[in-house]
Amino acid sequence: MSVESQHYKSEVIEQFLCSDLPESELRDVEQHIETCDSCRAALHETAADLGSWDEASEFLTSDEHDLALKNDDALVATDIRTTTDPSGATDYGTDVRQVIAWLAPTDDPAMLGRIGTYEIAGVVGAGGMGVVVKGFDRALNRYVAIKTLAPHLASSGAARRRFAREAQAAAAVVHDNVVAIHGVSEANGLPYLVMPYLRGTSLQKRIDGNGSLNVSEVLRIAMQTARGLAAAHDQGLVHRDIKPANILMDGTTERVLLTDFGLARAADDASLTHSGVIAGTPYFMSPEQAEGSSIDHRSDLFSLGSVMYAMCMGRPPFRAETSWGILRKVSDSTPTAIRELNSEIPGWLAGIISRLHEKSADDRFQSADEVADLLEQCLAHVQQPTVHALPDAAMVLAHHERGPSWFGSKLAVAGGGVLCCLGLAIWMGTQAGLFDASVPEVVAPSSPPEPTGTFAELPAWDDGTDELFELQKAIEKLDRDTADFWK
Amino acid sequence: MSGIPQTSASLLLRIKDPADRDAWEEFVAIYRPVIYRMARRRGLQDADAQDLVQRVLGSVASSVEEWEHDPRRARFSTWLTTVTRNAIIDTLRRIKPDQNAGGGTSMLQQLQRLPQTQESAAAEIQREYRRQLFRRAAAGIRDEFEEATWNAFWMTTVDNVAVTDAASQLSRTVGSVYAARSRVMRRLKEKVSQLEATDG
Repeated sequence: MSVESQHYKSEVIEQFLCSDLPESELRDVEQHIETCDSCRAALHETAADLGSWDEASEFLTSDEHDLALKNDDALVATDIRTTTDPSGATDYGTDVRQVIAWLAPTDDPAMLGRIGTYEIAGVVGAGGMGVVVKGFDRALNRYVAIKTLAPHLASSGAARRRFAREAQAAAAVVHDNVVAIHGVSEANGLPYLVMPYLRGTSLQKRIDGNGSLNVSEVLRIAMQTARGLAAAHDQGLVHRDIKPANILMDGTTERVLLTDFGLARAADDASLTHSGVIAGTPYFMSPEQAEGSSIDHRSDLFSLGSVMYAMCMGRPPFRAETSWGILRKVSDSTPTAIRELNSEIPGWLAGIISRLHEKSADDRFQSADEVADLLEQCLAHVQQPTVHALPDAAMVLAHHERGPSWFGSKLAVAGGGVLCCLGLAIWMGTQAGLFDASVPEVVAPSSPPEPTGTFAELPAWDDGTDELFELQKAIEKLDRDTADFWK
Repeated sequence: MSGIPQTSASLLLRIKDPADRDAWEEFVAIYRPVIYRMARRRGLQDADAQDLVQRVLGSVASSVEEWEHDPRRARFSTWLTTVTRNAIIDTLRRIKPDQNAGGGTSMLQQLQRLPQTQESAAAEIQREYRRQLFRRAAAGIRDEFEEATWNAFWMTTVDNVAVTDAASQLSRTVGSVYAARSRVMRRLKEKVSQLEATDG
């Protein structure tokens, strides 16, 4: 068969491709194509049509337009709602191994080792500052979470002091929405603190898993977070690292617990940040943190705004490729309007978040208590709209909030559409008996007004909250129904 | 050859179900790079392109429930094209001119790069979809082959290395390089068809 002057039949080529020939024949064919152009061509085309070869060649070549996810292509499959931490590439494996090596030996074969009187059952997690292990407290017959300082930091005096401060700060705050500290100690030169072991999950995992949350969940979680923050602020502490990963959700009750005062410190204790080390997750930082200026409790309120934004949208408000990019956006830019991407979020909630997101701390809400109270009233309204009116403060914010993009773009171009919507607004207003005599001045300008302005200028709706939303919904529906006209 | 229109209907029916998270993730895995590349090709920088992807997927997520799979009406690719195109235009409109200064591309030029007709944009989405199909297929079959076999394919097909050079670099015979790359290609093609079918 293997004579050079003759060529293989297509069946043989096919069998060769599938390695469906005796060893010796496979070798013969391979040797033949070493030199035979014709059989090479046959093999080439039997393997795949020429179009597929070309496609493979072109499509598998990377170019400058490729999504910058080289290291974790597998992660492309994860949802857009999953946030990627730019520092996520850090490998904490060494820390974990060192901590395990540091454990005292145990007699219990089911356990990894011992810290003080606690039997260690496993590693729960690792982060920039330390490693968290799950321990069992024999005396009290309960599991605990033990947080140790990362071994590589334990040699640094500054880090040890910071860790001690974390423990002291957190232990001083006793509140339903703050994770309690059972105790603080040190073993073999490695400081650790003991906290309750909580079943349940973090808000970060919740967002990763479910994407955006519904309005009452957003309000409930934000309200409890604000309560926990208020308790810390009362002690003169700024948390400094409010982010979804530090907001824990109790598995059984609906309780939200604030944890990881890793960077918390008395507001007057100036130190670490000026060393230039970026402390905290930049995604949720405040502009004053990003700029390295002095901060107070209102910095946490900005971060709370970012957490609320993430709950509404499934992703943090300020994103960029690098930490530096994020910091720039935090200080310079306004996040994409919430209602532009998620029209289910009511204007007043977007308004509350915008207020928390004011770049200047003076323009934000001034205390966590104030925010918590407002969110509580809003939650009551959402749960029982007929019993509880939306609080005035939220109403006012709703009026200042930008509407969804179609207000700005589509309808602005299509003046007729604006008039049509205004017509509907007048009609519905009349039906509801809400407009007084001054209204025509507002809604019948000589030229189509800037639509966003129209809502802002609407007269006070004393008891017309629900009607306002009905109206807004109706207009949105109208927009959807007529969307085809604009295409 | 035609990726989206005929095959994706059932995946699309599935992503309409908000509870079917797997379907959504699958959809995102396929279309995220598709949309991203379209945006990059129009000169958007990474962060803006990522943002655009977000917006488009957001639009899809919020409006897919209203999209009816009806063979007589708009195809999904046409619909997706409209959503993507509008989002790109919208994004370009927002980008401040100074952000592009480094690139040397004016806004006008960028806009001119937009596909003029629905058809060409649809074709572009199709093509990008197919690119992702090949990449997913390649990633999927990579572990089925030994390193040298895979390299024989990759070097000669993707990196345009001559077969004889590849053979000497891999210390293999020319015949075995031909054999290796053909076997990988055959398997790749199978995998592409398989993915195409399961996307549907």
